[in-house]
Amino acid sequence: MAESPEPTGPRETSRGVGRVLVAVYAVFALSASARAGVQLATKYHEAPLAYLLSAFAGGVYILATIGLAGRRPAFRTLAWVAVLVEMTGVLVVGTLSVAAPADFPKATVWSGYGAGYGWVPLVLPIFGLLWLRRTSRDTPANSTRD
Amino acid sequence: MITTLAFALVGLTAVLAVFGVVTTALGRPVGRAHTLAVGGVEALLVLQAVLAALRVAGGARPPETETFLIYLLVSVCVLPIGLQFAKADETRWGGTVVAVTAVATGVAVLRLLGLWGGASG
Repeated sequence: MAESPEPTGPRETSRGVGRVLVAVYAVFALSASARAGVQLATKYHEAPLAYLLSAFAGGVYILATIGLAGRRPAFRTLAWVAVLVEMTGVLVVGTLSVAAPADFPKATVWSGYGAGYGWVPLVLPIFGLLWLRRTSRDTPANSTRD
Repeated sequence: MITTLAFALVGLTAVLAVFGVVTTALGRPVGRAHTLAVGGVEALLVLQAVLAALRVAGGARPPETETFLIYLLVSVCVLPIGLQFAKADETRWGGTVVAVTAVATGVAVLRLLGLWGGASG
């Protein structure tokens, strides 16, 4: 029974194991947007669609990171929206890249369901959604104050 | 020399990642041991960044030099930020946060190695 007691109070998405989730999102936000920024700045004309998609993915990761790291209820809403867009994005782009590879001459974060990134882009939104659902369910109703 | 250092850093970040996960498994919050471990790896990362930056300043041009310099910057920034972020939470998951940033740093060093290898032929 080495389990340390969890702190009481409202369940913040950035506490405990949620902090690991925020860290992974931050890493993807940084790498996806920095990479897209360089690609758009130096070789936009090679594959504008793929690079714009990478930039969009980077933006989604940034918003998800902010949403999960923040404490106010509005951040939770932001996190829900961002992670749902991310889930949709990786499924749609992943499917398109497999079904019509000719339209995706350059890889994006979400190509092949994120296979180039160890499938983390596919697994991450699943964990994100599960974590958001779990923390909202565990939040005591009497702890919300305005 | 710089390649040897980079390979050593890939190994060290992997060790740091394992260490972080182990402390989480043992239920230990982030403490002095994490600070020392991150500090040691970070010192070598800074050394690598200085050496590489000096070479680029001296005229070396790895392919995609902009990307190379960004990875160089990322390789020194991620661990200290990750450690601060991990320390701000007293649960045992801080070790895993350190592990995540260690893996990210290791990947950045691998990318640096790939680009640098292309430069020296």
